[in-house]
Amino acid sequence: MNFTEIENKRLGDKYYRLHHDSGLNIIVYPKKDFHSVYATIATKFGSINSQFVHNGKKVHVPDGTAHYLEHKLFESEDGDAFSKYAKTGASANAYTSFDVTAYLFACTDKFEESLGILIDLIQSPYFTPETVAKEQGIIGQEIKMYEDDPDWRVMMNLLQSMYKNHTINIDIAGTVDTIAQITPETLYECYNSYYNLNNMVMCIAGNVTPEQVLEIADKKLKKAENCDTQSIFPDEPYEVVRNYTEQILPVAVPMFEIGFKENAPKTCATTKEIICTNILLTAFAAESSALYRKLVDEKLINSTFGSEYLEGNGYRAAIFSGESRNPKKAAEIILDAVKGLHKNGISQEDFEIAKRAVYGKLISGFDSPSSIASGIINAEFSGREIFESVDVFSEITLDDVNNRLKDELDPENYSLSVVKSMDE
Amino acid sequence: MSEFVRKEICEGVAFNSITDNRFKTGRISATLVVPLDRKTVAANALLACVLTRSCKKYPDFTTLSRKLDSLYGASLYPSVRRTGDFQALTISVTGIDDKYALDDVSISAELTDLLCSIIFEPNITDGRFVDDEIEQERRQLIENIDAEFNDKRTYAINRCIEIMCRDELFSIGRFGSREDVVALKNEDIYNAWINLLDNARIELTMLGNSDPKNAFEGFKKYFADKPRRQNASTQIVTDVGEVKRIIETEDVAQSKLVMGFRCAYPKTAEETVANALMSAIIGGIPTSKLFTNVREKMSLCYYCASRVDSQKGIMLIDSGVETGNIDKAEKAILEQLEITAHGNITDEEINSAKLALKNSYISLLDNFASMQNFYLNGILRGITFTPQQAAEMVDGITKEQIISLARQIKPDTVFSLIGNE
Repeated sequence: MNFTEIENKRLGDKYYRLHHDSGLNIIVYPKKDFHSVYATIATKFGSINSQFVHNGKKVHVPDGTAHYLEHKLFESEDGDAFSKYAKTGASANAYTSFDVTAYLFACTDKFEESLGILIDLIQSPYFTPETVAKEQGIIGQEIKMYEDDPDWRVMMNLLQSMYKNHTINIDIAGTVDTIAQITPETLYECYNSYYNLNNMVMCIAGNVTPEQVLEIADKKLKKAENCDTQSIFPDEPYEVVRNYTEQILPVAVPMFEIGFKENAPKTCATTKEIICTNILLTAFAAESSALYRKLVDEKLINSTFGSEYLEGNGYRAAIFSGESRNPKKAAEIILDAVKGLHKNGISQEDFEIAKRAVYGKLISGFDSPSSIASGIINAEFSGREIFESVDVFSEITLDDVNNRLKDELDPENYSLSVVKSMDE
Repeated sequence: MSEFVRKEICEGVAFNSITDNRFKTGRISATLVVPLDRKTVAANALLACVLTRSCKKYPDFTTLSRKLDSLYGASLYPSVRRTGDFQALTISVTGIDDKYALDDVSISAELTDLLCSIIFEPNITDGRFVDDEIEQERRQLIENIDAEFNDKRTYAINRCIEIMCRDELFSIGRFGSREDVVALKNEDIYNAWINLLDNARIELTMLGNSDPKNAFEGFKKYFADKPRRQNASTQIVTDVGEVKRIIETEDVAQSKLVMGFRCAYPKTAEETVANALMSAIIGGIPTSKLFTNVREKMSLCYYCASRVDSQKGIMLIDSGVETGNIDKAEKAILEQLEITAHGNITDEEINSAKLALKNSYISLLDNFASMQNFYLNGILRGITFTPQQAAEMVDGITKEQIISLARQIKPDTVFSLIGNE
C-alpha cells in the first residue's frame, strides 16, 4: 500500500493519504520538529443522524444516541480505554458534534501504543444493560450542565427556531428522558451502521511519519465489509419556523444569536463557497466593519460579538452572536445593514482587507496539530480538501463574494434567539 | 530551536525571546505586573482595554482594526489576570510570519512598531484619554464583569476564592469591582498609565521566527534608564480555622460544589512540579481518584476536578451535581483526599499521573501561548525553568513527597450554588 503525497508550496507543508485495505481512509500530516502527535479517528455520525436505513431496515434512534455511544465506546470487555491510555501518558478525549463523532488522543511519547489503543477502542464495542445504565447519571449531569449554559441554550433555541424538520434542531446530548430509552441494542445498531471503517477517517498530525502509522494500522485494523447505511433527513422548508424566541435564565448580560437561513442542498458547501462567505462575513461584521462600529457606538454589543457560517447536509445559515443589553435593537440594526448590503454589495476596499484577514486566520490554523486534524476530518466528510482553501484565494474576486449574497443573508428569512434574565 | 533567552533591560524590566522556525505565526507581548490594590486594580484593567482600542497613529478602533486586518488578520488584545497577589496586564500582538504574506510587507516589524505605539503613544491630549473611548470601554468592561455570572462553573469558582481569601489581596477580582469601574475618571486612567510605565514590573516576550533584535531595541530605548523595584510578595496562608460555608441559591438545573483548600506554596521548580503531580493524582486526569470514584463509580457527576494554583498555594476542587447529591459528593471528595494523605496511592496511580504530566509539559512546547504562560508563571515567582526540565523532574518525585504535599491540604471553604428544586 502506498501513500499519496499532497503538497502545498505556499504553506511548505505536505500530508499523506492512503485508502487502507481495511476500508479506512488514513491521513498523516507530519509537522517537522514538533513534540506532540494528535491522532483522531472519526465517523460521519452525529446527533443529526437519528434516522437511517441500514441494510434495508429503517431505524429511528432516541435523541442523544450518538453522544451516548461515544461515552460507552470507551469501555470494552477488557477494561476502559482511559486506564489503557494511563499507561502511555496520552491525553485522550472524544467529542460528538451535529455530524461527526471523533475519538482522539495527544501524546509526546509512546505513540505506537496509544494509536493501538485508539484503533482497538473503535473496533471493540461492549455494551451491557449494566454499563449502559451506569452512564445515565453521568450524561444526565452533562445534560443539566448544558441546560444552564446560556451560550449553548441561545444556539439550540436558534436552531429550533430556524429548522422545522431537519434534525439539526435536536440537542446533541438529547434529554434525560430520551437517553433513558437507550439500550445496548440501540448502541449496537448505531455502531454496526456507522462505525464501519469504510465510513470513517483516521487523521494523525504532528511528530509522526506515515510509515509509523501504517505499521500499527496493518497490525490492528480489521478489514470491514462495505455496509449500506443511508441517513435520512426530512425535507426542510426554506422558511424559518419563527422570527423570535427567548428563554429566561439567570444571566447578567442578555445573549443573542441571529441566524439567516439559506437554501441548503443535501451536500456540503464547496471550499470556494465557504471562503467567499467568510470574506463576506468579515467585511460585513468584523471589528473593522461599519456595522460593528455602529453597534458599538449604539452601546449594543461588546467584544464577544462575532459571526459564523454553519453548514452541513441540508442546513446552511450565517449566524451573528453576542451579548447585548438590547438584543432586539441590535438585531434591527443588523437587519438594516443586511438590507443595505444587498443593495450596495461589499466595496472593493473592504473586500481586499477582509480577504487578507481571512487568509491570515486560515494560515494560523496550520500551526496546531489539533486544528489541522479536525480541519482534515471536517474536510474529508464534506468532500473538500484542506490545501484547496489556501490556494483558492488567488482566484477569488469581489464578484464572487458579492454573488454569494444571492443565496445568503435573506433579510426575510431570519430568526432571533435571546437568553435573558427575568428582570431584563 | 525553541531556546529561551532572557535579557534584563534594567532592573525590573526583562526581554524574553524564543526564536523558533516551526511556526507560521509569531507573538509579541508586554506583561505589566503590579501588586493587587483595590485603589488601582480597576483603573489598570480599564487602561488595558483603552490602550488596545486606539493610539496616536490609529486614533480609533475601526482604523486600528482595519490596519490589523490588512496585516493578514493580525490580532491585538489585552488580557488581565490575577497571579498570586498581583495583577498582570498583558498586551499581545500575534500575526502570521512574514514568509506567508502575499506581498512584501514585514508583518513582524509592523507588529513590533504597533505594540510600541499602543503602549507608549496612546491617544492622549493634554493628559486625557478620549472620553468617548473610555465610556465605550467602561461599558464593555462592566458587561464583561457582569457576564462572569453567566457561566455558573466560573462564577462558583470565583465566589469560592472570594470567600476563602476575603482577608487577603487575592480576593480582589482581576478587573476590580463593578462599582470601582463605574467610579473611574479620565485622570485615573491617565495616572494608571503613567504609574504602570514607571513602576510595574515588566516582562516582554517575543516568540516566533523573526529576529528579536528590533523588538528588543524598541523596548530598550524606552525602558533602559527606568529601573523599578517591587518589594511586595504574595501572602501565603497555612493556618485555617473552621471551614467557611456559603450557600447561594439560583434558578439553575445543576448545582455546583466548589471546595477551596490551602496547600503548599512551591518555592522551587521541583516543588512546583511535585504539587502539580499531586493534584493530577487527586483530580487532574481520567484515572485520578476523583474521576474514577466520584464520577465513574458513583455516577454523581460529569466533572469533578482538582487544580492547584501554585502562584498562591491554594487548591480548588469543583463538581456539578444534583442538589440532593451535594453532601454525598463533598463526603466522597474528602474521603479521597484522606485516602491520599494516608498514603493509599498505588504505583499505577503515580505512574499514570507522571506520564500524563510529562506529556502536558512537553506538549507546551508546541504552542506559543502555553510556553509564554509557563515561563511567566515561573519568572513571577523568581524561578526560571523550561518545560523539558519540568518533565525531567517529574520522574524523580517520590511517593513520600506526594504524601507530604497531600497532608498539607487543609479545607478552608465550601461554596455551593444550589438550584431551586
